[in-house]
Amino acid sequence: MVSRTLLRKTRRDLMSRKGSLLALLAIVTIGVGSYLGMSAVHRDLDGARHRYYTEYRLADFQVDLKRAPEFEIERVKNLPNVSEVRGRVSMAVLLDLPDLAEPISGTAISMPETRTPVLNDLHLSSGSWFTGRERREVILNDSFAKANGIQPGDRIKALLFDKQHDLLVVGTAISPEFVYLIPPSGGLAPDPARFGVLYLPEEFLQESCDQEGAFNQLIGTTHDRSDKAIDSTLDDIESRLDLYGVANTARINETASVKFLADDLEGLRVSARVIPALFLGVAALIMNVLIGRMITQQRSTIGTLKAIGYGNLAITIHYLGYGVFIGALGGILGIAFGTWIHSAMLGLYRTFYTVPDIRPHVFPDLWFLGMAITLVFAMFGTVRGIRYAARLEPAEAMHPPPPERGNRILLERIPIFWNPISFRWKMILRAVFRNPFRSAVTILACVISTGLILMTLSNVDALDYVMDYQFAKISHEDLTVGLRDPVGMEASQELKLLGGVSEVERQLSVSCDLRNGPYEKRMGILGLVSNNRLITPLDSENNPIPIPEKGLVLSERVAEILHVKVGDTLNVRALIGSREEVTAPVVALVKTYLSLAAYARIDYLNRLIGEDSSANVLLVKLHPGKRSGTLYKELKQRPSVIAIGERARAFSQIDATFGKNMGVMIAITVFFSGIIAFGSILNTALVSLSEREREVGTLRVLGYTPYQVLQIFSGESFLLNSIGIVFGFGAGVGLVHLIATQYSTELFRFPAVIHFFRVIETGSIMVLIIGFAQILVFLLIKKLRWLEALQVKE
Amino acid sequence: MIERAEVLLSVQSASKIYKMGEIDVPALRDASIDIRDGEFLIIVGPSGSGKSTLLNLIGGMDRPSDGSLSFLGEDLAHYSDRKLTLYRKEQIGFVFQFYNLIPTLTALENVQVAIEIAQDPMDPMEAIRLVGLEDRADHFPAQLSGGEQQRVSIARAIASNPRLLLCDEPTGALDIETSKQVLGLLKRLNRELKKTVVLITHNSAIAGIGDRIAYIRDGRFASIDENTEPTPVEEVEW
Ligand SMILES: Nc1ncnc2c1ncn2[C@@H]1O[C@H](COP(=O)(O)OP(=O)(O)OP(=O)(O)O)[C@@H](O)[C@H]1O
Ligand SMILES: [Mg+2]
Repeated sequence: MVSRTLLRKTRRDLMSRKGSLLALLAIVTIGVGSYLGMSAVHRDLDGARHRYYTEYRLADFQVDLKRAPEFEIERVKNLPNVSEVRGRVSMAVLLDLPDLAEPISGTAISMPETRTPVLNDLHLSSGSWFTGRERREVILNDSFAKANGIQPGDRIKALLFDKQHDLLVVGTAISPEFVYLIPPSGGLAPDPARFGVLYLPEEFLQESCDQEGAFNQLIGTTHDRSDKAIDSTLDDIESRLDLYGVANTARINETASVKFLADDLEGLRVSARVIPALFLGVAALIMNVLIGRMITQQRSTIGTLKAIGYGNLAITIHYLGYGVFIGALGGILGIAFGTWIHSAMLGLYRTFYTVPDIRPHVFPDLWFLGMAITLVFAMFGTVRGIRYAARLEPAEAMHPPPPERGNRILLERIPIFWNPISFRWKMILRAVFRNPFRSAVTILACVISTGLILMTLSNVDALDYVMDYQFAKISHEDLTVGLRDPVGMEASQELKLLGGVSEVERQLSVSCDLRNGPYEKRMGILGLVSNNRLITPLDSENNPIPIPEKGLVLSERVAEILHVKVGDTLNVRALIGSREEVTAPVVALVKTYLSLAAYARIDYLNRLIGEDSSANVLLVKLHPGKRSGTLYKELKQRPSVIAIGERARAFSQIDATFGKNMGVMIAITVFFSGIIAFGSILNTALVSLSEREREVGTLRVLGYTPYQVLQIFSGESFLLNSIGIVFGFGAGVGLVHLIATQYSTELFRFPAVIHFFRVIETGSIMVLIIGFAQILVFLLIKKLRWLEALQVKE
Repeated sequence: MIERAEVLLSVQSASKIYKMGEIDVPALRDASIDIRDGEFLIIVGPSGSGKSTLLNLIGGMDRPSDGSLSFLGEDLAHYSDRKLTLYRKEQIGFVFQFYNLIPTLTALENVQVAIEIAQDPMDPMEAIRLVGLEDRADHFPAQLSGGEQQRVSIARAIASNPRLLLCDEPTGALDIETSKQVLGLLKRLNRELKKTVVLITHNSAIAGIGDRIAYIRDGRFASIDENTEPTPVEEVEW
């Protein structure tokens, strides 16, 4: 059925529309490419993660407790659904590196003396396992060692529990439980230089931490790995180990590192569908404009073909061929482009996540799928034209088309509006309204483009907003000092006397179970002093909220999880102390963006755990301009100090981690989104230019300069795109809100932030894109052989 | 009519060669003619003889390959695109065989197109009245007959008050009666508004209505005849 001569016609028809074709192909290529690229990245990353978790046997759950004898491990193993468990010691440590004034926080984790496969196993990056030659050997997490220039053979000083130890570094390693290692002091970004994980021989760690023959962390796997099954297993374990002071139970997929990567992958999966669909959808619409125009131009050809016996099927196949050609070419370009995106994005992810073996693989099935999707979209791009061609009667088709309708458009019925406007605007408005499909496509493409750009730029502001909110509006301390056990008032008074300290504020952080009927959440409640100044939770109007004497202040997200509102009561059970369940009213809600939060008065919380006036976190404000050097020296010597966080550092770390990557991603997204608008504008201009060559000629004969002619053409473009931009702003705002609700996780809530400045910026970018397209149109008008256009019969 | 009228535009040994790939197509060879201010000049010649090519040179739509064109002493042959555009705008009114009206504009608006950029234009309605279409001013081209469309295009050509009206087979697509109306209109504009008219035709029957008749053949003028007694348009027969 496919005629070779007609194929030749297809090729020439397309070649004579190179400009439109290129514009269209650019959009198709980005659409397919981003689909293939992101899908492939998703597969590779997901695959690498899966291989890593499986091979190094990431646990399914984790239980923290005070101290449990080793024989309990066997008992837990016999619980239903538990497949394997491992008891280990996990302890906060402070490291003293020779080149650094400040003590460095870290976690020490016990590992078997000799290498045997265990849950949460290590992948050695350099050096070796413990040699046994020395008792105090350590394997460091690789990124920490690298960031501090530590190599196997070096020694480091660590304050373990109450004694300083000199540890010999024998190796460096990575672990599946820390693919994205966020310091527990909070934040969103890893800080490899300032937070380390130390893997120590089991017995040595047990002895140094008062855990001989015991463990304080249980990790394990289950047979049924559904969330529900794991949760109920955790309940069993908790009641079994209750007397050993269970402090926390968690599924591994709730822990920061695992969850962060999982959330990221989920976001990628969604993007890999939505973004390509937008691009290919717009491409199909633009193609309908282009092919539709081509087919009307070829009316008489179609009539002739029909007259000499080509049927509708043959004609349909012929014009579908344009779709196949564009789809196939776009598909091939898309595969090439997708391959590039694939490797570029993977490179980025490789620096982001500590997962071995993130390598690009070739996925032929994705190529086929991408090609098929593109072909389908491209064929959709020809339907309007084909419908028109199929309906043409041969006799009618061989006549010239009926003269362009001289009907008035609706606006002309409003004389007050219509009469005073110039003929240019009349021409423009009539062109707009007489080609409703084309105008609608132009507007839609612009709406999508504007919306995507505004959303992308606003993402920067969302991050800035969160940073400012968390690190400037809510927290005001310079240092956060974490203590091993709750201490009395003296500690804060003592700290206040140290060099440079201007203010110390006591806090008590207690892990609690919050329950409202069937809804439960285990999280820390932070007890604040009555005149809290260094941390000031804010209500939805950004006003500091006083912490009530009784009851809780929850972050909105926590209230959501627990299905409570202000005035409701919650059951609260602290995981330390008497561990009795009490009820507490929800007194107010606050906003937070990083992690979950619940606040109470420190005395209230103390009573809850049967203490008097203890605190386990001290917030420190330094005198302005004072360096923290001497303070650090003092803190390093205190065994009760287990963590030190620096607000400025956390801030700059997040900024460095996300700011850099975001810049590149934003530039790319804005560029690609701009291509939609640019391609659409150029295509519309080319199509209307080809329809109106004679008009251009007429105007040129009358003495219009190319620039004056351009003004008439541009008018249409600017009019439609202005409408598109305005609606695009709306779409952008909508997208920002959508992202805020869809992409928010427990770790990170995305605020919906729209700055007026960004709206202006987006508008300016769009105007630039439109302007740039007009320059091309201008060159085409200048080049147009208008004299010839005038002398052919219509 | 013995006294010599002022020369408005002088074509001296103009030639135009179109390059079609390897082949040169000489459309005009060494053609010379002086167009006098206020005359009604008719150029007659067979198809392909170079009439349109010449008219396009005169109208500033193209430049000669060789030779010169001077309009009131100014050399058009070496004008830049900008100056040619300006020349077209200020001095030339063009009437085509196929009207070339803008289909999305009404008759009146088509005239306004020319007026919008002109220096010293007529009132658009006056131009429409001059061609007798005052009650069709609000119609779109598709709602007008061929003759009416051609009259709109004439109205558009004169609206900017040009000195020179160039008509390329203005009646080529019209029937006899309508053609006569159009020719009569052009004659009237020539006489009453003192427009210089150059009209191309390959229909020698029309030739008689001109003040001068130039015969063109193979890109040259074969002869240029004075016609002391132009035939009134009503009496033309073909
Ligand atoms: N743009 C062009 N490119 C190539 N050749 C051309 C071009 N324009 C005209 N010609 C050639 O130049 C010659 C003169 O053409 P022109 O259009 O001037 O003739 P004409 O006298 O107006 O004919 P007609 O009465 O058919 O309109 C012809 O042989 C034509 O084929
Ligand atoms: Mg001609």
